[in-house]
Amino acid sequence: MLRIKDISKTLGDFHLNNVSLDIEDGEYMVILGPTGAGKTILLEAIAGIYLPDSGTIELNERDITFLDPKKRKVSMVYQDFVLFPHLSVYDNIAFGLKSEKTGPEEIDRRVHEMTEMLGITHLLKRDTLKLSGGEKQRTAIARALIMKPKILLLDEPLSALDGRTRDNLRKELRTLHQKYKTTVIHVTHNFEEVFSLADRVAIMNDGEIIQVGEPDEVFSKPNSPFTASFVGAENIFRGTITSGKGSSIITVGNLKFSSSAKDIEGEVYASVRPEEIMLSKMPIDSSARNSFAGIITSITNNGSMIVIEVDVGIPFITILTKRGLYDIGIAEGDTVYLTFKAAAVHVFY
Amino acid sequence: MSESGHSWLRRISIGAGIILTAFILIVLLLIVTYSSPEQFISSLFSDEIQFAIYLSLATSLTSTFFCILFGVPAAYALARYNFREKAFLNTILNLPLALPPLIAGVGLLLLFAQTPIGHALAEIGIEFIFTPLGIIVAQFFVNLPFMLRIMKSTFESIDPRYEHVARTLGCSEFEAFRRVTLPMAKNGFMAATVITWSRGIGEFGAALLVAGATRMQTESLPVAVFLNMSTGNLALATSAATILIIIAIVSLFLFERVGGKSGSGMF
Repeated sequence: MLRIKDISKTLGDFHLNNVSLDIEDGEYMVILGPTGAGKTILLEAIAGIYLPDSGTIELNERDITFLDPKKRKVSMVYQDFVLFPHLSVYDNIAFGLKSEKTGPEEIDRRVHEMTEMLGITHLLKRDTLKLSGGEKQRTAIARALIMKPKILLLDEPLSALDGRTRDNLRKELRTLHQKYKTTVIHVTHNFEEVFSLADRVAIMNDGEIIQVGEPDEVFSKPNSPFTASFVGAENIFRGTITSGKGSSIITVGNLKFSSSAKDIEGEVYASVRPEEIMLSKMPIDSSARNSFAGIITSITNNGSMIVIEVDVGIPFITILTKRGLYDIGIAEGDTVYLTFKAAAVHVFY
Repeated sequence: MSESGHSWLRRISIGAGIILTAFILIVLLLIVTYSSPEQFISSLFSDEIQFAIYLSLATSLTSTFFCILFGVPAAYALARYNFREKAFLNTILNLPLALPPLIAGVGLLLLFAQTPIGHALAEIGIEFIFTPLGIIVAQFFVNLPFMLRIMKSTFESIDPRYEHVARTLGCSEFEAFRRVTLPMAKNGFMAATVITWSRGIGEFGAALLVAGATRMQTESLPVAVFLNMSTGNLALATSAATILIIIAIVSLFLFERVGGKSGSGMF
């Protein structure tokens, strides 16, 4: 188990403030937070690159707070890969085994085993500068995993990749984790990665851990205004999807709505961004496929926008400008209509 | 921008470039063509010029070695770490660049001739005044900023996270430097070495004050030019000068080859 206790660190503009977090062996922990929350420094403190100003880090009941990074068995993968440009793909992946004075035959065997797993064996002789983003990231992951680390740290591993590559690599990360049972700490600002990968999620903001728990629990019961606004405002629902031709129906509780997702069956997450939802006092005649009547349960002014929660069987969040609220003239308890397009429903799993 | 013949700015600026190029070429060609090829060859193989070549190579290679030995770690510290004295160190370490070499020579002469340190070194047989060691220490003092500045900007251009990753892959701090940062700094390092060495070969003012200009003793190539010019032996003087010109051209070529790729921010 990795036990982070009251870690504080100031580094330039970034800081960690009394961060405590326990991570079980073999767990996939996603740390979710906005840019500048201190997520990367937390990983770098775990790796031993920056020593904390105070607090302790224990790995399997051994204090590793000030242990040399090379003795920690903790590997790190950065968002922008940080492949060694003077070495080939092969030598990048073999780098750590060479530090450990592993014999050349053993190195060769393990490099091939790892690259076959990640589908990059054909790239071994290449120059790293000529790889695509996905190939670079696979090389970086191979370089880290070949060390058989006790903990694998992933710093925004999917953020620099394009959509399709990101989806593929996300699935591969899940497969790799299931196969190797490595403890993974994965930092991201993208909540989709939480649902597809995380055993547990930690929400981080401004150098502090705000909430820790299983994804469903954190997303459905945010414990603070920050968590609510960061994850709650996204209208994320868990439901089942049945696909028809060109579109599909998602059932969440008693509510059914259309999505333009295709060829998916079973349990999924669906989200509708609040700004995609139209709110009106009367039903709107439009091409939008989803329209539901509901009762306003709360109207909150969050400073720049008005956040309105409407119960249509399940709670939906939508937003209006102050001017918009004044124009439409609604109050808590009123019946209103919510309308959104099938294309506004985002499905992930 | 007009590329046609109507652009006066184009004509004037290109003209200025051509005039300057011609000026430099004439000056150099006057030296190189002063002796006939036969004269040049016989001067080249004279004892005096042979000695000057040997002394210049030996002193410049030694001083370059010491510039690397001290300059690379100091440049790394200035590029990587923050410490209280950093700005002060940075200013002082660059000072020899702006200082007239002659003044550096005066200081070194005082250090070795008039202080207990100099006397103590002389006691144990390390004598700088009027010896080739004096040439080496003068070259080292004057040329260290070249090594330092190029290596500092080279190290600054290498993201420290390369070392961070290496350290999570089983490297100590020093191994990470040796296996990652140093190979990545290769071009900058070669550029710095070439420029430091070629400056060392040409160093005159500071070395003259410390080591003097004694024929066949502290007679490096620049000193050979100086001594033979002052005694009117223009054949020998221009031969030594020609060798220095050839070395300058070769170093510039090497520097452009490696320096162009390394993005060294010195020039």
